[in-house]
Amino acid sequence: MTISAERSTEVVGASSGHDGGSKGLSWTQRPGLLSQNLITAIVFAIVGYVVGHWFGNYLSSGYTYISNSGQNSIANTLALTFGVVGWLLGIGALNYPLAKLLGYDGLEEEAPVDNWTKYFRYSLDHKVVGLQYVVGVLLFMFTGGLLAMAVRAELLNPTTHLFSPDTYIKIVSEHGTIMMMMATSIIVGPLGNYFVPLMIGARRMAFPRIEALSFWIFTAGYMVIFSALPYGGFPTGWTGYAPLQTQAGPGMVSYLLGFAVIGFGMILAGFNQAVTIINYRAPGMTWSRVPIFVWSILATASLLTLATPVLFAGGLFGLLDKTVQTAFYVTEHGGSSYLWQNLFWFFGHPEVYIMALPGFGIAGEILPVFTRRPLFAYKVAAAGMIGVALLSFFVWQHHLFQSGINPDMRPLFMLTTELISIPTGFIFLVGLGTLYRAKLRLEIPMLFVLALFFNFLIGGVTGVFLSDVPVNVTVHGGFFVLSHFHYTIMGGLLFAFMAGLYYWLPKMTGKMMNKKIGKVHFWMMFVFFNLTFFPMFIIGLLGQPRRVFTYASNLQGLNDFASVSAFLLGLSFLVFFFNLVWSMWIKPEAAPANPWESQGLEWLTASPVPSYNFERIPVILTDPYRYSEPEAPAYADLGTGGPADPSTHSMA
Amino acid sequence: MTSTLNNSHGPSETPEEREYEMRAHISSIWTGGRLFIGIYTFMLASLVFSYFYLRSSNNGLLWRPDHVTAPRTYGLLIFGLSMTTSVLAYVGRKRLAKGSFSDFNVAAWTGLGTGLLALLLQILEMSHLPFFPGSSGYASCFVGFGVMNMITLAISAYWIETTAARGLRVRRELPGENAEFSSHPRARSFRADVASMAYFQVFVGLTGALLFAMFYLM
Amino acid sequence: MTNQTSNSTAGVNHLRRIATIWVVLAVIVDVLYAIFVGPHVPPGRLTTSAADNQNTFNVLIMISLPVLVGVWVYMAYSLRNWTEKRNGADNFAGAVAQTNKKAQVSWIVITSVTVLILAAYGSYAVVSEHGSGGGEGPNPAWAPAGALKAETAALVGKATWAPGSKNVLPVQVIGQQWKFTYRYPTFGGFESTQLMLPADTTIAFNVTSLDVIHSFWAYQLSVKADANPQVNNVAFTETKDPGKFTVRCSELCGIWHGAMYNSGEVLSQAAFENWATSTEAANAANTALLPAFAWTYVPDANGAAGSYYPDGTATPYSPVETYGAKQPAS
Repeated sequence: MTISAERSTEVVGASSGHDGGSKGLSWTQRPGLLSQNLITAIVFAIVGYVVGHWFGNYLSSGYTYISNSGQNSIANTLALTFGVVGWLLGIGALNYPLAKLLGYDGLEEEAPVDNWTKYFRYSLDHKVVGLQYVVGVLLFMFTGGLLAMAVRAELLNPTTHLFSPDTYIKIVSEHGTIMMMMATSIIVGPLGNYFVPLMIGARRMAFPRIEALSFWIFTAGYMVIFSALPYGGFPTGWTGYAPLQTQAGPGMVSYLLGFAVIGFGMILAGFNQAVTIINYRAPGMTWSRVPIFVWSILATASLLTLATPVLFAGGLFGLLDKTVQTAFYVTEHGGSSYLWQNLFWFFGHPEVYIMALPGFGIAGEILPVFTRRPLFAYKVAAAGMIGVALLSFFVWQHHLFQSGINPDMRPLFMLTTELISIPTGFIFLVGLGTLYRAKLRLEIPMLFVLALFFNFLIGGVTGVFLSDVPVNVTVHGGFFVLSHFHYTIMGGLLFAFMAGLYYWLPKMTGKMMNKKIGKVHFWMMFVFFNLTFFPMFIIGLLGQPRRVFTYASNLQGLNDFASVSAFLLGLSFLVFFFNLVWSMWIKPEAAPANPWESQGLEWLTASPVPSYNFERIPVILTDPYRYSEPEAPAYADLGTGGPADPSTHSMA
Repeated sequence: MTSTLNNSHGPSETPEEREYEMRAHISSIWTGGRLFIGIYTFMLASLVFSYFYLRSSNNGLLWRPDHVTAPRTYGLLIFGLSMTTSVLAYVGRKRLAKGSFSDFNVAAWTGLGTGLLALLLQILEMSHLPFFPGSSGYASCFVGFGVMNMITLAISAYWIETTAARGLRVRRELPGENAEFSSHPRARSFRADVASMAYFQVFVGLTGALLFAMFYLM
Repeated sequence: MTNQTSNSTAGVNHLRRIATIWVVLAVIVDVLYAIFVGPHVPPGRLTTSAADNQNTFNVLIMISLPVLVGVWVYMAYSLRNWTEKRNGADNFAGAVAQTNKKAQVSWIVITSVTVLILAAYGSYAVVSEHGSGGGEGPNPAWAPAGALKAETAALVGKATWAPGSKNVLPVQVIGQQWKFTYRYPTFGGFESTQLMLPADTTIAFNVTSLDVIHSFWAYQLSVKADANPQVNNVAFTETKDPGKFTVRCSELCGIWHGAMYNSGEVLSQAAFENWATSTEAANAANTALLPAFAWTYVPDANGAAGSYYPDGTATPYSPVETYGAKQPAS
């Protein structure tokens, strides 16, 4: 039985459970204080934490050198782990897994709560999860950003110090770790979860429970990594090198466990996306008709699922080192500090492509809409993304050129790293080709995409410098490499995130983001981003290492310039938050159904999007992005006899 | 939305759409099961990598002084029991495909028993190690292996139990004789789940053999 | 979607225009760079590895600048000429944009060739310059002539160096939380907090750590090698003229990582010989108390490494005895 454009008109009776009422709801999901929501999650998390702490102390009570040490890693690990389990129990994420033990299969479950409290619950609507992720990601970004401001404030003067060296290194480490954790999910989480089903014409994700679980694990991971601060922080930076990791205090456990927890969430998110994209595409959506954003999420998902387990294992070994005193990373006892480096970077390099690819996907998705052109070299773009994902597993030792690894490996990894710049460069082929004789509409999403091209060009080219072994001697471990990755991750991914938000918030919330404030936000962010990070290339070339609180006095001018620009960059984020608050609550302006005149499937469904996404499963009729052909057939047949009309089935 | 059957559907829909979504759901179980094996492979590969890396580094001549080895009896028992679970899962699945639910039932619940016993023995072994965890590279890797093995055994026990319980419930709740072989969505979903579960169990058996050889026989 | 369309609108060949602007700007930028910036680019030319790294950096820049200029010129051109206001208000253009296979293939070929050339050039540079100042681990693959012999001799106290001898000078760099110290096996193995080097000499740096991972970055020498406990990371360079240089730790090693730096100097050969022999004599009493010179100094469960705790019963960790001339890889 296939669905085609000539679909049958025989309908089956209306399905049950759509009145949003509480008929048949399990007691844990009904509205009210005792049902499972954020509050119960917090309560259970605290209880779990206390129980875990007690249990850890009990287990180690026979070992006085641990229990008397004031930093019982076993107690800390178990406290945080039980806290995470309590959090998940409290929000209701574990109801289904536990019910499965009784054979429950959840296939006929009733709809849960459908009022405003759904945003504070374990919701199985991918659109709700997407919006929850927006808030989660912005929370991470705000925290990490504040820490960055502290770092730049410290670096204003090489001799006057705002923080003790201990506090400073804690701040630097926490900034890096929180930002990296946020950046992994910043697009896959909010925009991937919200839009992938809509863009492939599906009514749901393949595993909605796993998707929701990934969000609540993401928030749990944030709290675990944040708990490092009250525990005294960790001194290793986000890279966590042993043996400094072994030497570090209790805060190190928060880092290791935080990575294990977030890693688990990343694996779940990627798993769900990959399975959904492979199986839930609408009829007629062959692989050559899949939107480029969805391709990028598929490539990202392959990395999320296959690279992150290595991080998980590495973190697990680190935790074993800290709790039961194994010696994985302790050279003097048969382990090796290089083992951590290899495990970490085997994950770490695909990790940065997990960050880059969704940004390219968004750029590819937005370009046709605002150039009114088909995406140039669409097939090359998709192939490039898959190529990047595949090659990313073969380059990791370029982080280790000077570390004492087998020297014969270095030309090999230089070659593979240079090779990966070829598919990475395809996004520029695609971008420039799409701009050719286009009809550019310089709306705010497009401005951010153009800025992405500008920034990522600098970031990508400097990557080539780093991949060259002789030049690497000068530029590794200093501000040059720091600026390189800020240009690629922040200049690429974060700008893409902003583009995606400005582009898609009208669909997600029904309100437009204010254009005037948006333009101020864009120009401030773009200008001050470049003014902050471009001087850092020079600072790095002039010999300033990373993660230091003091530097040669002749570099103070450049450092001050970068710091002041960084403060103004921080201010641009406040402008963004102000725009968000202004446009969503203070002076909302209703968005038209398709403000950007996009042909994307997500714009053709009703606004606000009903819980079941599409009245009929769409049938895809042609390639996407046929913008410059006035006679092109519609992209999809939605089965409603015309483009989607404003919804009369709204649920919200 | 939650329900595969009810709530992801529009307020009115066609049989083709229902069937389309059902097939997507069944394929997802297939794809998901394979992808899960891929994920798990990379995690176990990290352990295997660590083992061989530390072995070739032999830092401080402390990879495996005196060729220390974990207690072979434990190892053999744990591996044997876990392999039994894998075999039972495989056989059970084959019997279910041939139409015999009771064979599957017996195999699944027995497999759960052997799996849980293996898990218990693994926990016992880890709490009675004859060497200190940090005494050598091998010791550290073995502790890591023990922890990963506990996770693997727990997951495999969970999966076999939930499919077995699901089979009983489907058989009881759906109308008609041999409902578990019908084309009712819940029954189809159940059979797909069994297939993916068996696939994973075979994977566990095979990797278990490799890890057993690495840690107890080499 | 694949019908051919010409490049021009009303006689304007856009690509030719863009290409012209690009070539002109790229040449100007490259020439300006080569004349005014190139010779002054870090890390300078104090050693052969520094000169080599500076050259490689300049080559990369001279290739990158046209790339940057090209993309920016194209983007600026498109912003100026191809906005909707200029092209009319219709939703669709007259000309259908096509997938130009030639453009795609050219792009792929040109980027691939460039990148492969860069990889080959980089490999050539690193091999011909004996590692270009980067740490090569305990078994360096590209050692200058005589270096490995000098290293083996150093371990047994038989390395020699004198002005004009053209021998390789092994210098050990010991990193610890939070300072660098230096041992000179050719001069009795004395340990100094000052790093003095002779001019016109090939130096073999042997970098190790006593605790966590540090990284020895002698900036103007263009040497960078991670210091790992129980690992001897070897890096080579050849000094040329006398000059001063700074040393900074470039791997986060704890709280005072930022304060872990000192400076050093390349002296003339005679001055260096003077300094070394007088320091050796002055420090003789201290040197007698130090552990015997070894590549690494970290005790392990098998006993004292490098006879750090010499008590006669512990087996000293001697790489040469245990592994022969080949050191354990990490």
